Amino acid sequence: MLIMNNIKKVFRTDLVETHALRDFSLEVNEGEFVAVTGPSGSGKTTFLNVTGMLETFDGGCYTLDGKDVSQLNDNQRSKLRNEKIGFIFQSFNLIPDLNLFDNVDVPLRYRGFSAKERKSRIENALERVGLSARMKHLPSQLSGGQQQRVAIARALAGEPRFLLADEPTGNLDSLMARQVMQLLEEINQQGTTIIMVTHDAELARRAQRNIHIVDGQVSDYQQLQPVLDLAEA
Amino acid sequence: MFAYYFKLSWLGIKRTPMLTALMVIAIGLGIGVSMTVLTVNYLMGKDPIPAKSHQLYHLQLNAMGKGPEWNYTADGYPWQVTYQDVQNVHRSEIPTRKTRSLATGVTIVPDNTIPNETGATPFLESTRAIDRDFFAMFDINFIFGESWNKQVDIDAENVAVINKELNEKLFKGENSIGKQIKLNAILYTIVGVIENWQPTPRFYDLNNGNFNSTERLFIPFSLLPIHELPSWGNNQGWKTETVNTYQDKLRSETTWNQYWVEITSRDQLAQYKEWLAGYISQQKKLGRFQSKKAGATLRNVNQWMEYNHVVSNDSSILVGLSFMFLAVCIINTIGLLLAKFLKRAPEVGVRRALGASRKAIFIQHLVDVTLIGLMGGLLGLALGQLGLVGVKNLYSSYSQLVYMDTSLIIAAIAISLGSSLLAGLYPAWLICRTNPSVYLKTQ
Ligand SMILES: Nc1ncnc2c1ncn2[C@@H]1O[C@H](COP(=O)(O)OP(=O)(O)OP(=O)(O)O)[C@@H](O)[C@H]1O
Ligand SMILES: [Mg+2]
Repeated sequence: MLIMNNIKKVFRTDLVETHALRDFSLEVNEGEFVAVTGPSGSGKTTFLNVTGMLETFDGGCYTLDGKDVSQLNDNQRSKLRNEKIGFIFQSFNLIPDLNLFDNVDVPLRYRGFSAKERKSRIENALERVGLSARMKHLPSQLSGGQQQRVAIARALAGEPRFLLADEPTGNLDSLMARQVMQLLEEINQQGTTIIMVTHDAELARRAQRNIHIVDGQVSDYQQLQPVLDLAEA
Repeated sequence: MFAYYFKLSWLGIKRTPMLTALMVIAIGLGIGVSMTVLTVNYLMGKDPIPAKSHQLYHLQLNAMGKGPEWNYTADGYPWQVTYQDVQNVHRSEIPTRKTRSLATGVTIVPDNTIPNETGATPFLESTRAIDRDFFAMFDINFIFGESWNKQVDIDAENVAVINKELNEKLFKGENSIGKQIKLNAILYTIVGVIENWQPTPRFYDLNNGNFNSTERLFIPFSLLPIHELPSWGNNQGWKTETVNTYQDKLRSETTWNQYWVEITSRDQLAQYKEWLAGYISQQKKLGRFQSKKAGATLRNVNQWMEYNHVVSNDSSILVGLSFMFLAVCIINTIGLLLAKFLKRAPEVGVRRALGASRKAIFIQHLVDVTLIGLMGGLLGLALGQLGLVGVKNLYSSYSQLVYMDTSLIIAAIAISLGSSLLAGLYPAWLICRTNPSVYLKTQ
């Protein structure tokens, strides 16, 4: 459960102040699949970074799973991020000199799992994205789509409640993009809340809910779609 | 978690071998140079006999007359003592042990029963004339036999103690007790063979080269007037006297002998000082010890070394300079570390996104630096050894100084770890503070 109220984010440089988010309010419920669209520079990535606590904010209130994020120190935020949030990036961001196994291992290391637990989680996660045969490969030995699947495995290995994806299909061709989208949908069906930024209207339409950001604000902010209300009733 | 950080560091080193090599070289050079200088300096000033340095005292007497003072030392005392004083002072039974001492020399004529062997030709040998207690005072171990008995110090007898090396040369290392050697055409009987003994600095005689080799041959001091043993060391005088014969020299005010006592308690020391004061006032009546500064001083081993400036100011300045050089190397390393760490910033961004705290990133980078520091330290040790070989070749009198003991090796590693951690603090702090999101957008 994620609640943002009037979040403000300003980037200050010597010359300009950019209001990347202004009075940004949003509520995302457990198990939702939210697609975020909007013009370039509208603040989508900033929103995702604030959500994932990679970026601080300058005003407003953000509660993640009942915790007021602005009250947490770096250690607590890192722990929360490590346990509850998985990140997927447009450019995959795998660590080039670690093999797939070690890449997926990264968040688990910070989690402090035992070696045995890590091993089984890594194998499961790679299995889930269909790459368990390539554990010892380096990222550079994989195609873009495969790399993104590793990134997804890495995000999933810690079984996070939220998956934040910033244009996960942006660097992939349409076939690969559909495969990745399918994978995300499966993950969502198993209960993980997903927030995905995308430029692809077709992919966005496949999500339960669409949010359009313009100029640092949700342009058509609406409560949960009636469809979902009915389903729950 | 540390094992994980070490693994990452190792991967990082493999990824940036040149940068790593540069840092290791920078730290290694700094450590190498400063360790070379530090080693020489440290061994110069090292307590050569830690177990006993506080209870061995070197005696100085100022027996000068009225008139010009002795300007060569800070307190106006000559370094050595006269023969007459040494003889008189030796009568006191207060010290636990005591020894007169003179640097002399003889011609050794090897035994002609072993013809044409190495060393069959006569050779000159530095010799020390001392009393029986000398070996026990300075903790010198015997391989065979022991020191001569007390009576020899009074009656004189042609006996000798040699060291292992000379025993090898003259007797092929076998037990030579009871055998005879010919010194200046006189037969001496070997009563003891000692281990090779090389205190650094050679504190028991700082008048004749602080870092020279010790003698290999020791004979009773009581033989001095009998064989008229010459002084191979310094002779210093202040009085205009005619010294034609050896007997003249024994009676003169020339200072050419040394005197050491072993004193084990405060009371004993006070008692001995009182005794010396008594001796001086008695001598005053005889017309000696007339100077304003007349008197006796006792200095223990470390005080004696300090008094003689065993560690020169130059070498202390050199230590300072070498550490400045180390500082320059560290500053260089900071630059290289910044380059290395910033190159890795995108990876740090990913790690942060995946849940690494700032602290975790900071520690990871310090481990990285520690590994580099360790390698730099090892290189520095190797370079330091080379440097010491260089010092040895330049200054032959330092040859005894040219080794690193365990404490220096530990110091080298500690200094290199410390300095690399120091170098790493700022870059590691910088990288852990950077905003991860900046590096996540593009790669
Ligand atoms: N680190 C930063 N410093 C200064 N300004 C920034 C920074 N990051 C983002 N901005 C500004 O904030 C605004 C929102 O940027 P953001 O990256 O969130 O856009 P976006 O919606 O993700 O765009 P795109 O679709 O192109 O990725 C932009 O005007 C951008 O210039
Ligand atoms: Mg963006």
